[in-house]
Amino acid sequence: MTDLAAWLDEGYPQSVRTAYLILGNRLDAEDAVQEAFLRAWKFRDALAKESSFKPWLYRVVVNACNSKLREEIPHRDRRDNAEGLERLVTDDTSSRVALSHDVRRALGDLPVHLRVVIVLRYYADLSEREIAVAISRKPGTVKSRLNEARRRLALHPALRDGSRSQPSAVEETG
Amino acid sequence: MTLIDEEVLRDALRDAATECEVSDLAKATILEIADVEEAAPRRRFVPDAVREPGRARTLLAVAAVLVLVTAIAVPLLRGESPSPANRSATPTTVHGGVAFTVTPSAPSEGALAPSPEKALSGTGLAVSTSQKIESTGTVDLTVARGRVESTFTKLTALATQLRGLVSSTEANSHNRSSGSFASGTIVLQVPEPSFARFVAEVEHVGRATSVITSSNDVTGQYVDLQARIAALDASLAQYLKIMTRATTISGILAVQNQINTIQTEIEQDQGQLKVLANETTYASLTVNVTEAEQHHASTKRSGFGAAWHDSLNGFVAGFEWLVRLAGPAFFGLLMLGALYEIVKYGRRAIRRRRI
Repeated sequence: MTDLAAWLDEGYPQSVRTAYLILGNRLDAEDAVQEAFLRAWKFRDALAKESSFKPWLYRVVVNACNSKLREEIPHRDRRDNAEGLERLVTDDTSSRVALSHDVRRALGDLPVHLRVVIVLRYYADLSEREIAVAISRKPGTVKSRLNEARRRLALHPALRDGSRSQPSAVEETG
Repeated sequence: MTLIDEEVLRDALRDAATECEVSDLAKATILEIADVEEAAPRRRFVPDAVREPGRARTLLAVAAVLVLVTAIAVPLLRGESPSPANRSATPTTVHGGVAFTVTPSAPSEGALAPSPEKALSGTGLAVSTSQKIESTGTVDLTVARGRVESTFTKLTALATQLRGLVSSTEANSHNRSSGSFASGTIVLQVPEPSFARFVAEVEHVGRATSVITSSNDVTGQYVDLQARIAALDASLAQYLKIMTRATTISGILAVQNQINTIQTEIEQDQGQLKVLANETTYASLTVNVTEAEQHHASTKRSGFGAAWHDSLNGFVAGFEWLVRLAGPAFFGLLMLGALYEIVKYGRRAIRRRRI
């Protein structure tokens, strides 16, 4: 079990937080990551054929999150998912925290396939090529999704009006 | 185009992620579950070879498709329909005459007592480890007018003599004023070892027009179920041990989920085992009893009447042919659809298992 322990030390915290940003709920994130690590460990032979551990592990994590979103969360009472949203509405007036909350709210409104690429790119620090491996799509698709996700985030009311977040959160490109 | 700033997004996501506190206990739970799963027998639905890359996987997939296509095509080409009788060991039926079917795997006659039994540890079920044969049959009998009820009585007496029982009866009267039944069906169950003898005796109660029997050896299925239940029991014991050590809610929920799944599987398997045990203890014979029809003097047709009659018969025969053809054609389409879905699902499963 020493390898699994090493995997957990290396990737568990960031995997949980990645899943948390995708799913919006800590308990769901823990469940998904537990499922992902057990699945990854069970099929560890497949790792030998992969070039890198990190995108491979994230692929399993993303699949586990997708399964959770597809199979469990839609059937659950909406109130169960309210925990994450409740925590967003705090009285913290710090602009940095406010921006973080606004981004999370906007992230929650993104479709899952766009949310995943944004989280993998800007939180997990995966390159576009690594994201392509993690979500089993072409790098071009990843690039296009990232642009679309950033465009939608910029247009989201929580980030567009700038009432709580910094005005510089949005940039204009050609 | 308006886009959100990358650096701002990166910082905001990092801040948002810090809201999620990571527990070390969850890691310990994962290690324990992985430990248990390593110890438990692997229940794989796809063999290892399927996950092998390249040629082996392709060959396996091609072989699977070939077997499936052959299984569908052969009965269709031979004009057989996959009825329950055809699926079993050696069914034979002949219309218009008497057909006999040999039941090769049936045990010798005369042995009325069931096989010695022994208890399966842990399951609470008394199961036999000897050969398990599942036998069923149908006999069509024609009897003289007004003899349907008395035939039922004779058949019941025969079954009772062999320590059998009547499972169900149904009688129909086409002319209620006559006060007697014109046809009926009786389903009898006799101990499996006496089945062949019972069928032979039933044939002599009336004029047998059709006899269909089939035997199916389910010993392998029976032993598999026993082994599966034992393995699941072992896994369940391991998970119960983990449950006592789980400390976090998510850990407890995860282990409880596994326990529920295993318990459900055990219950399903035990149910199947009970059904198999019942089916192999008693063989079932359905006897259709019909009164002999009165022969009407046939009026000889000729000329235009005969031609019209032949024409009608031809039309009906053609229509019947179309209806007969529709069944296999529909079945073939259904199988093609199922095959497509299986291949699609298999490819997805393989893709998932590769990660």
